[in-house]
Amino acid sequence: MSPRLLALWLKESIALTRDKHGLLALFIMPTIFILVMTMALRDAFTPGVTIDVSYSVVDLDQTPISKALVKRLDRAAAFKKVEGSNDLGAARNQLLQGKQSLVLVLPKEFGSRLLTPGGTDGKPAEPMTLLLDPALSPTLQLAFRNQVMAALGAVRADELTVKAGKLFGLPVTPGATLEKDWPDEIRSEAVRGNTNAKIPSSVQQNVPAWLIFAMFFVVIPVSSIFIIERQQGTLQRLRAMGVPFHLVLAGKLLPFFIVNQVQAAMMVLVGMYLVPQFGSEALELPSSLPLLLNWWAVSSAVSLAAVSWALLIASIAKTSEQATIVGGVGNILMGAVGGIMVPKFIMPASMQKIAALSPMAWGLEGFHTVMLRQGSFADILPSLTQLLVFAVAALLAAIWLNHRALAAQS
Amino acid sequence: MLLIENISYRYRDAATPALQNVTLEIPAGGVYGLLGPNGAGKTTLISVLSGLLTATDGRISLNGQGLNEVRKENPRAIALVPQDYAFYPMLTVAENLRFFGGVLGLSGAELKSQSESAIAFARLEQVVGKRAEQLSGGLRRRLNLAIGLLGKPQLLLLDEPTVGVDPQSRHFLLDSIAALPAAGTTVIYTSHYMEEIEAICQKIAIVDQGQVLAEGTLSDILHSPEPLLDIGLEQPLPDTIAQRYSATLIGEQKYRLILPSTVTLQNLLDELASAGCSVRNLSLGQHDLEQVFMRLTNRSLRD
Repeated sequence: MSPRLLALWLKESIALTRDKHGLLALFIMPTIFILVMTMALRDAFTPGVTIDVSYSVVDLDQTPISKALVKRLDRAAAFKKVEGSNDLGAARNQLLQGKQSLVLVLPKEFGSRLLTPGGTDGKPAEPMTLLLDPALSPTLQLAFRNQVMAALGAVRADELTVKAGKLFGLPVTPGATLEKDWPDEIRSEAVRGNTNAKIPSSVQQNVPAWLIFAMFFVVIPVSSIFIIERQQGTLQRLRAMGVPFHLVLAGKLLPFFIVNQVQAAMMVLVGMYLVPQFGSEALELPSSLPLLLNWWAVSSAVSLAAVSWALLIASIAKTSEQATIVGGVGNILMGAVGGIMVPKFIMPASMQKIAALSPMAWGLEGFHTVMLRQGSFADILPSLTQLLVFAVAALLAAIWLNHRALAAQS
Repeated sequence: MLLIENISYRYRDAATPALQNVTLEIPAGGVYGLLGPNGAGKTTLISVLSGLLTATDGRISLNGQGLNEVRKENPRAIALVPQDYAFYPMLTVAENLRFFGGVLGLSGAELKSQSESAIAFARLEQVVGKRAEQLSGGLRRRLNLAIGLLGKPQLLLLDEPTVGVDPQSRHFLLDSIAALPAAGTTVIYTSHYMEEIEAICQKIAIVDQGQVLAEGTLSDILHSPEPLLDIGLEQPLPDTIAQRYSATLIGEQKYRLILPSTVTLQNLLDELASAGCSVRNLSLGQHDLEQVFMRLTNRSLRD
């Protein structure tokens, strides 16, 4: 190992450990982001979780059939059921006071007219009524209506089955009631690789997302050291000592590459052990070695892109304030556009196209390919290629800028 | 011996060349002074010597060998101490020396012993564990110099090494630099402070606007070829005398006169006595660098 390169690495490492702001940006910021964002977005990523809107039922019928409907609705579990008094006036008051958002009123004779809505007497059946808070979003109103309709259909089918069974002498299990649990719920399964598994959770979105974001923040320490070297004439001195510029760059690439890998390990540990402490589910890493290697390949490519980008910013910026602003704002824009802050899949199609321009999105795509779809190396190759091409381009631009600056001096 | 022959250099987009046919002969084992005002071309010449800039034409050789070959053979042969504090403020004194030593390719016991001797030379023992950013201006200058000594260079280029330093540190720095040739290092010292050059340099060159105006030993240069007389009077100099000796006013009732020869001094003193002008002080022949510089450029050094 060349002592010159070793000296450069050692210098960069010592300088970094003394850069408090840099360390804060690299390690503390992403940890906090992962915790906060995982907590905040926990429900947004988990379909079927209780919606924070409550309803109550005013059952004026009080028959087994009406009770069966209430029970089915409760089992669907998307909305929170509140036990209210069975009094229409009290329910209206609760709505007015904003204590709940939805009240379903089951009319008298609901049970007896379930299968004959028109009635045998020719009189139309009294309909169910949904009292609602006008501030409730139309989507949620519709969702609740659909749930009621679904529950009603199911109760009707049950009742019909029982009646028809009696009529045709079909065997009916004794004790079979309308409240029987039918296996008619829908379970969501996301398709990945050769196994089926759950939909990505908040932690699976947030850990890689904020890891990428944090990796790109090497721009702060990289540029603060680089700009000091340029302003104080240290680069000139190194050149006079016969150190070529590409060696200076190599002296920076490796330490910050290692810093990025330490970040990756730390963020994974945060996802696996710290996030569950706050009541969210733990991060799951791929279990097989090839998948882990693919994961690391993505992490390495993101790191190379991030460090090269940082060197480019450091070469453009005149002062470290400029580097902090250009680098910091640039990262935030790349993150906002690239699906770090707002997941790409909830963006409209036009925004998703713009997102595809952000290097952070390429990295996130790579991580998701490995973590959610258990993709092979061939599957992550497009993401890796994009990131590496970006890294090489940024590095070449940095070298070109530095040569131009030298030429301007001479 | 370092031989600089007809070196020229022009910065891109510059109207005039920064160096124009500069020729200097710098003997080994001494402190050679480059004196000139700011912008004279001193730093450009130093940059060419250190390999940061490449001269457009001319030739430079050290002991008969081209400078590039010297550098290729021994990358540590020529060291530059820039005007700036060119080290890492967040690293300690010891860490800085270890880094620059490592970059020069030193390692192990060699690196350790050279760091230690650089520390001892610049008397940095008390602050080895201190971060460079916490050092005073004088100590920073010493660290800057100490780094230049790593690798035991044959030729040490010092670019204004005492700028922004308190008088005590300046004194210490000058003494240390003056002692370097004894250890086998040839020093080229640029400054616009004449006192410094006068104090430590055996040979000097005066440069201005990219050209060498005078070169030689200090006594050669200070010795005036034409008998200039600086004279202070109690009364103003009578016009007739002033015209005859092409006098210029250089201070309050102080004049510089050009004498046709030294023997005319007696005549002049007689004339002054008969005109009723009494002499306060006078100096003939020997000048300080400031006077020499003014004579050569008609400008003050510290413009």
